[in-house]
Amino acid sequence: MSDKLVLALPSKGRLMEQCAEMLAKAGLVVVRSGSARGYKAEIKGLSGVEVNFVSSAEIAQHIKNGTAHLGITGEDLLRETIADCDERVAFLRGCGFGHADVVVAVPDCWIDVRHMADLEEMAASFRRLHGRRVLVATKYMNLTRRFFSGRGVTGYRIVESFGATEGAPAAGLAELIVDITTTGSTLRANGLRILDDGLILRSEANLVSSKVAQWTPGLRAIERDVVARLAA
Amino acid sequence: MAAEAAQNVEALNAQAQRLIATFTRAGYEQVAPSVIQPAGLFLDVVGEELRARTYVFTDPEGEELCLRPDLTVPTCRLHLARHPGGRVEARYCYNGPAFRYQAGSTDSAHPREFRQAGIESFAAADREQDDAAVLALIAEALRETGLERFQLSLGDLGLFDALLDALPMPRRWRRRLHHHFWRPEAFHAELVRLTSRAALQPQGVPRDLIDRLDPEKPEEALVLVAEHMDRAGLELIGTRTLEEIAARVLAEAADAREPPLEPQTAALIESYVAVRAPARDTARRIEELLGPHGIDLGGALDAYRRRLDLLEGLGVSTWDATFSAEFGRNLEYYTGFVFEISVPRLGPRSPVAGGGRYDSLVSDVGAPSPVPAVGSSIHTERLLAALNGDAPGGVPGGAP
Repeated sequence: MSDKLVLALPSKGRLMEQCAEMLAKAGLVVVRSGSARGYKAEIKGLSGVEVNFVSSAEIAQHIKNGTAHLGITGEDLLRETIADCDERVAFLRGCGFGHADVVVAVPDCWIDVRHMADLEEMAASFRRLHGRRVLVATKYMNLTRRFFSGRGVTGYRIVESFGATEGAPAAGLAELIVDITTTGSTLRANGLRILDDGLILRSEANLVSSKVAQWTPGLRAIERDVVARLAA
Repeated sequence: MAAEAAQNVEALNAQAQRLIATFTRAGYEQVAPSVIQPAGLFLDVVGEELRARTYVFTDPEGEELCLRPDLTVPTCRLHLARHPGGRVEARYCYNGPAFRYQAGSTDSAHPREFRQAGIESFAAADREQDDAAVLALIAEALRETGLERFQLSLGDLGLFDALLDALPMPRRWRRRLHHHFWRPEAFHAELVRLTSRAALQPQGVPRDLIDRLDPEKPEEALVLVAEHMDRAGLELIGTRTLEEIAARVLAEAADAREPPLEPQTAALIESYVAVRAPARDTARRIEELLGPHGIDLGGALDAYRRRLDLLEGLGVSTWDATFSAEFGRNLEYYTGFVFEISVPRLGPRSPVAGGGRYDSLVSDVGAPSPVPAVGSSIHTERLLAALNGDAPGGVPGGAP
């Protein structure tokens, strides 16, 4: 790592564009260095910053390991990737985009299951009848475990799912899912319904700071500068 | 000393030999169940809590496997492989590694790889006798390695079940309270819910459907629930059948008609769960608590007393032992007597040994009907630390 402040930004998609817009509005214009397709950039007029473009999931890793000082990524990914998130990550600022709710969704035909507590009881009878535990499809294994455990729900197993999670119940791959949703329309289209108390996390993109990165007083000054400009 | 540090391999080996010698002398056959276990079956049995701490991996053919997080389940599988049905009396002992992820970091009291030495006894007819024999043998094995003094904590889920049976409430409420016993918050919330008429009313199922359901007529309920789903445009997707959904809707209908649990009854349950007493004083304390309400736990309390007497007869002093009604192991497969052995040096949260009765585990891993079973294991690295007088590294906390 150089002695520069490393800022990790999403490398593609709508999230990358929104980050660039937000920074530009604050007078922090990101300029790609070298070829336009490179994964490094600088911020015009702020020489102490090195921008790294990486995938959103990797940003969480960099913040976790301290290989980036600052980053912008979804709170869902941060909390999923980093078990001791509050020890390692300082949430500096919600960005106002990248909104997504992490929710527990069940088949709408389960008219007997409205709440997490129903789920636990249903899981017990499911196991008696089917000889196995209820399966929850998700890519958010850690968020799911923590949330379910906090609500006394234990009679389930997680199956990891990396895409099209909402189709898992109809395909018989899992009985219910934990996934992100913005409007709920994809869930509805797949015959699923969010439990009344099934909101795990209301996530958005966040500017975060790694508490375990190598910080110097100079880098802290740049951090304060970036935060101040975004707040202005 | 995490196993990977391997500084004390010789001391651990010597200690393990003494433990195994004690076990085999008592007629326990030494076995070596596989370290690598099928993840699916194992994790179905232990549940998601331990799954989060189990190392799971996939082999080149895509089969999901795990490193065993304890040796009890593998020993059950071994027993069943030898005796399909499981109802053959058998006693096994083992010494070998078990693996658990430790959130944050590992320390000497909570290594990710540790060795368990233990015993498991299957299908013995006299439960209290076998409970006492297993604990007595573990105590003897600890003494053989040089551990003379330890603190014994006892619990008995049989007493709790007997209390639920003795109190007036529908069977499905008993089942729920029993199910939540391991989770104090959920348990308390459920008790509060059962005492509230409003909370017992169905939350999601339409009132008119609930009102038309007769808990005595499940056949009719099936038709009514099917009609309701048709009208509401709800398509049946996934594994759960209409029968399953209807059965639970019907249970909700029954709850809605049920008079709530008497607040005194809920209070009595809470008082019971709060009982902490010297083990020898426990039966009297429970009688004093329940007697004025005309509740007699009868056989379960007799079994508790008899087990203590049997322990004394086998040379295990129960006079300094403590009883806690909610004494919980975080493995929810225990069904009756439970115990832990700790030493002041490591503290009660890093017990040197623990065990108990698990009468439903063997059927959970595949036996056609429940098989009485009781067992216990020693956390051998902790035992060595206790004997060497090593200060435990880090802050002791959490489960083994």
